[in-house]
Amino acid sequence: MSTYRLYYFDGRGRGEVPRLILTAAGQKFEDIRYSEGEWPSHKSEMPLGQMPVLEIDGFKLPQSMTVARFLARQFHLAGKDNLEQAKAEAVADTATDLLNKFGPIIWYEEEPQKKASIEKFFANELPKHLRNLETLAKAYSNGGSFFVGNQLTFADLHVYDVLENVLEIDNNILDQYLWLKTNRQEVGKHPKIAAYLKNRPRTAF
Amino acid sequence: MSIYKLFYFNLRARAEISRLIFAAAGQKFQDVRYERNEWLSHKNEMPLGQVPVLEFNGTKLPQSLSIARFLAKQFQLAGRDNFEQAKVDAVIDTINDAMMIFMPIRRQEDEMKKKELMKKFFADQLPKHLKNLETLGKLYGDGGPFFVGNHLTWADLYFYDILETLLYANENCLNNYAWLKQNRVEVEKQPKVAEYLKNRPKSTM
Repeated sequence: MSTYRLYYFDGRGRGEVPRLILTAAGQKFEDIRYSEGEWPSHKSEMPLGQMPVLEIDGFKLPQSMTVARFLARQFHLAGKDNLEQAKAEAVADTATDLLNKFGPIIWYEEEPQKKASIEKFFANELPKHLRNLETLAKAYSNGGSFFVGNQLTFADLHVYDVLENVLEIDNNILDQYLWLKTNRQEVGKHPKIAAYLKNRPRTAF
Repeated sequence: MSIYKLFYFNLRARAEISRLIFAAAGQKFQDVRYERNEWLSHKNEMPLGQVPVLEFNGTKLPQSLSIARFLAKQFQLAGRDNFEQAKVDAVIDTINDAMMIFMPIRRQEDEMKKKELMKKFFADQLPKHLKNLETLGKLYGDGGPFFVGNHLTWADLYFYDILETLLYANENCLNNYAWLKQNRVEVEKQPKVAEYLKNRPKSTM
């Protein structure tokens, strides 16, 4: 029986997807959350001086999406075979493209530039990313509500988390993207995820 | 017999890692290279209007690293089990982090600004990533010259390719990193890779 320990800040950021995967899998884990003040004294304990880090039986693994893919494969949330896994990863990478553009704006920019950047992103960038996600869904979902192969994979969980950032700005944005809206509802209905979402702390990021 | 078709521009850039994996595996594939003027007429044949795309037995997969990971797993160049694959992925993601900083700098049109950003990249930003990569090589490499588990994986191929691009921009950037330098030498020595490197079209990017 392996022990899992996740190290991150007290927020979603780049650390929430591993939490969602472990939760969907029903796997207990230590959810370590360092405050900004605590972090500097722990930085040198991490292989690359960064978080999130997953510790499995004492071995530390860095890089958020590497951790996500590893956990997804451990708990059969990655896709049934190599090709399905590639489809799930293509969806996840497309969501990461969105997060890599939007994340720095909401995490690091300050007002008033932040408001302008968000408006610019919503007008010029966001529609393309959402359209791309729906395009892949149509190609890979076999007509179902999950991105790949008619069952929940980490791709659904990653998209769920990434779009949370967008919905915090405009709660209605998915009204124009019905497949994504339905997918989100289906993820939210998953019993273990539903319970987790109800009880998790609301955080600043 | 599986059919592999790779679509990209006539460049190394985001497709070369996949070409190197095919080469190391000794796997034949259709290497479709679009010139700039051809590309526009093929753009809407691709799922996200982008390349590279891998067509495998009729299914089209976008996203360069998802494609490469799929191919690496097909040809046993991804790591021998889930844990090794995660170590390989962590190296890949760390290399990619460096490239994500470099690419926008390379595209910078203001020559003065570009020169300044390049200087900062090679003096401050890249060394941090190279040190991290040496850390991972020492943690995961089992004392050998390859990044993970004492055998060639696509992590070594990706490092080889990305550094080719960086060395064109600054031929001294690996001077202080003996382990990383030796890793590239080992990759070049692999017979199938050596053969491929000798015969492929030359490209600085």
